[in-house]
Amino acid sequence: MNPAVSPAVGVAALAVVSLATAVIGFYGLRISRTTGDFYVASRTVRPWWNASAIGGEYLSAASFLGVAGLILLSGTDALWFPVGYTAGYLMLLLFVAAPLRRSGAYTIPDFTEARLDSRAVRRVTSLAVVVVGWLYIVPQLQGAALTIRITTGLPSWVGSVAVVVVVCLTVVAGGMRSITFVQAFQYWLKLTALAVPAVFIAFVLAGNGSPAIAPASINPTGLAPAGPYQNISLLVALLFGTLGLPHVLVRFYTNPDGQSARRTTLIVLGLLSVFYLLPTAYGLAARMFAPGLARSGQADAVVLLLPAQLIGGTAGDLLSALVVAGAFAAFLSTTSGLVVSLAGVISQDVLGGGVRGFRLAAVISVVVPLGFAFMTDSLALAGSVGLVFAFTASTVCPVLLLGIWWRGLTDAGAIAGMVTGGLLCGGAMIYSAALGGAGTPFWVAQPAAWTVPAAFAVMVLVSRATKGRVPKTMSRVMTRLHTPERPLVTDR
Amino acid sequence: MTRVRVTAPRSAARPVTDTREAAEESDAGQVFVRSLIRSQLRLALVVGGGFLLILCAFPLLLEAAPGLADTRVAGIPFDWLLLGAGIYPVMALSAWLFIRTAARNEARYRDLAEDK
Repeated sequence: MNPAVSPAVGVAALAVVSLATAVIGFYGLRISRTTGDFYVASRTVRPWWNASAIGGEYLSAASFLGVAGLILLSGTDALWFPVGYTAGYLMLLLFVAAPLRRSGAYTIPDFTEARLDSRAVRRVTSLAVVVVGWLYIVPQLQGAALTIRITTGLPSWVGSVAVVVVVCLTVVAGGMRSITFVQAFQYWLKLTALAVPAVFIAFVLAGNGSPAIAPASINPTGLAPAGPYQNISLLVALLFGTLGLPHVLVRFYTNPDGQSARRTTLIVLGLLSVFYLLPTAYGLAARMFAPGLARSGQADAVVLLLPAQLIGGTAGDLLSALVVAGAFAAFLSTTSGLVVSLAGVISQDVLGGGVRGFRLAAVISVVVPLGFAFMTDSLALAGSVGLVFAFTASTVCPVLLLGIWWRGLTDAGAIAGMVTGGLLCGGAMIYSAALGGAGTPFWVAQPAAWTVPAAFAVMVLVSRATKGRVPKTMSRVMTRLHTPERPLVTDR
Repeated sequence: MTRVRVTAPRSAARPVTDTREAAEESDAGQVFVRSLIRSQLRLALVVGGGFLLILCAFPLLLEAAPGLADTRVAGIPFDWLLLGAGIYPVMALSAWLFIRTAARNEARYRDLAEDK
């Protein structure tokens, strides 16, 4: 297949983004010295920086490419994806942000161990976090492979390997401090990369008054529209899945205190809302002006292809280069965020902590998903990330929510609930992968609506049955989670 | 140059004073803590529930008034505008309300706990 953009443009965009990422990473290295720096940036990052960094980290291949692709394919049904991705942060703000920051733990396993006073809970949580991280990195690498294939005509694996190499270099070099700068930069890069071509497209379409080829309500693929069950199940996965994403949660430890963790989340909500208007606009524009993209199986690449298709010429090439750069920023930022949080967990639990263990763990945490990405084929990106959210919502989310708000949670209950949720949701994912897209029953394809309540129910029932195991430290930990930090003298 | 690794300094944001923790662990202190947790949870549930209700009302509104979906605002179909853009201000407003009230709950707790 001929590349849609001239190969030189794609390669140049990739090189510039990788170089900028590495330079900012090394700049961060100069001020990053201690173990604490490596993990959580010494907890002194300002809310705006932190919020940009969270936005940068969160907006993955699924958001940058997948959402517009799904909107092109399924129209208003797919609007639930950006809404859910953003509303997840509202849930995070309401139930998790401030207490988690006040817990003083570095990672999610640190939190569950401190709350439930149990090494076994720590190990199960670590396992869940590592599985979530690996599952989430795979679509990023697949997105990179797709982007490289479509824009430069190079073999797909070049894209995945390039992302892995750049991420390893920056994470191994600088840890979280430099990652914070890199991520913040990448949010604004991603926003610009979608916003500038969108403005151009809007001007061109309005200027030449070209009529829409198709109405917005067209169904370009002839697939059956999603029923209410699928939409509800998807929303459950996205709303509750965001709560448990390891790379998002680790960011909350970099806030100075609980109230600033809340303010950070509010800014994140704003940043995400602004961002998601753009993929929505691309999807709508593609539906009305280029519905042909849906039929050729290139829906996930619609954001990359639309500028060249609607504008063309040198301007189209330059705008495409910008979009490619933004796409790579998305793969790099999400992958490095996940790698940092996975490496934190793996190095503390398996390799005994320390900076060297962290570096080794970082390499491990990105090489394994690379293998998966080579073995599996890319599904619709937003859809496969939706499944990762379902898995997170069925494992990490219940233990966090009940741990923060319910005094009765016990270690036995937490383990039973996480194992139940993980087995049910993981089983559904494997089963639907084995059956392939069309043959899967709808309740297996979107499992969150029953696996999440099941995990919660098992966690509560087993905790009730093992009341004697409520840890002695419980009321001290609960006090710490929910009481405000002592204000500094200057605040009063 | 040799690099010396030292442990990270404890965050200045949480200078844990033993007297304060002791006060919070007393029976009277725990009453205040429990009431703080209850009011924060109630607040979170009310805001979250309210938001979900509005979220569900949007598609129901489009079902109930089929003409709305065909209305166009500046060339953009109304149902796209409602779900694709209109929901975000609702989210931001809920978040802002929550943050304000949560901080107020905490200030009230602090007054109670320190007046004792």
